[in-house]
Amino acid sequence: MSVRHSSFSGWSSAAAVSWRGLSQRFSFFIFTALALVLLILSRTQPAAITSLRTHTIDTLAPFLDAVARPMEAVENIGSLLRDTISLRANNQKLREENAHMIEWQNAVVSLEKENKELRALLNFKAEPNPSYVSARVIAETGGAYVRGLVVTAGKVDGVREGMAAMTGEGLIGRVVEVGDWSSRVLLISDLNSRIPVTLAETGDRAILAGDNSPQPKLLFMARDASASEGAHVVTSGHGGIFPPNLPIGVLQETTRGTITVVPTADLGRVSYVRLVDFDLRGGAFNSIESKMRAESKKK
Amino acid sequence: MEVVWQRLDLWLRAAMPSSVAVLLTLLSVGVWPLPYLGPVMPPLAFIALYYWSIHRPDLFPPSIAFILGALNDIINDLPMGVSAFLFTLAHQVIWRQRRFFAGHSFFMLWSGFALAAAVMMVAQWLLISLIGWKTIPFLPVLIQTVLAIVIFPLPCWVMIRLQRAVLSVN
Repeated sequence: MSVRHSSFSGWSSAAAVSWRGLSQRFSFFIFTALALVLLILSRTQPAAITSLRTHTIDTLAPFLDAVARPMEAVENIGSLLRDTISLRANNQKLREENAHMIEWQNAVVSLEKENKELRALLNFKAEPNPSYVSARVIAETGGAYVRGLVVTAGKVDGVREGMAAMTGEGLIGRVVEVGDWSSRVLLISDLNSRIPVTLAETGDRAILAGDNSPQPKLLFMARDASASEGAHVVTSGHGGIFPPNLPIGVLQETTRGTITVVPTADLGRVSYVRLVDFDLRGGAFNSIESKMRAESKKK
Repeated sequence: MEVVWQRLDLWLRAAMPSSVAVLLTLLSVGVWPLPYLGPVMPPLAFIALYYWSIHRPDLFPPSIAFILGALNDIINDLPMGVSAFLFTLAHQVIWRQRRFFAGHSFFMLWSGFALAAAVMMVAQWLLISLIGWKTIPFLPVLIQTVLAIVIFPLPCWVMIRLQRAVLSVN
């Protein structure tokens, strides 16, 4: 039905069309106003908006899961094919790595023994064992603006805000929103992610700053820092969000002179994450300031 | 009883355009088997919004555009209200111009989408940068827009098929 035609075909249909036009225009104004109200609310009532977000994501989680499953199946077939093709080469590589690992294992056993003895000598209080929850990634959200994941574990599984999100290779982010059955992880590559880090080899400090690209930048490194390409970047434990020495990635100098970090975990292909609770609230990793504050309160 | 079934049938058919739009929103955050697609994933929901605002605005009113936008904000962790505002606005503009886009060839529909998507993506980038008060890298937004324009015929073809299969009896 075209409006031009109907306007000639009688009063009633013309009236119906203009009534529809009017109602369209009226509801347009209503919903534009509502959107603006939402925009203002997100600034003034962030807690309410966050709660709306987590509840909606929780409700949508089964649907996101349903959409993710067939894609995962395709990915599995793809990786099966890739693995089959490179079976021989991989086998050889793993054999060599295994031989290397056995040497390392021997070293670790003797070092662990030595470490234990030294700790006993010092009367060192052992760090609490971290607890963790494994979760599946069901959505990769944010498009060009936010680097985040939605995973299938929430309050009922013991997930808390601030938990570290890791893969077998290293740190990938932290939990920022927790629903009942799902949570949202903000990746280390996100524009708003800032993590205090050190270089494992030299102990130089810096801030790992995400810029939405797959390789976050290193900021505020001391000028005399002896950063060399390939140095290992780990969390420093400052700021009390992460414990020290979680592996993140290796240092890479770009052609433009900035220093970036190549995360050891492949941020573009995360299917499972481990959400780790290091219990930083009362654990051994608490920052010195908070301990001092607690001390002064006691006095 | 028959009447109930008929009503349900009609109601389900009428809900098709908005359901497709929601499904595309969910698909756009899916963990696709292509690494690094996430940051440049084209806005599939906007393709649905464009198509249905032109072809069945009676089944895709401003309220649905608003809800779709809000859903997009929630799922993608964008500042709440940005997409809701832009989708409602885009719906209105596209709806007013629908005869211009729809009356001609597919190429016309496609060009119209290219224009709408480009304006929409730049506006979204501007708004989010302004709200966060920091410059968000533009390159991924550009790639998103180009990808959206390139893949447009595919979801469009699916929606044309669906429209013929589900809504032609009305």
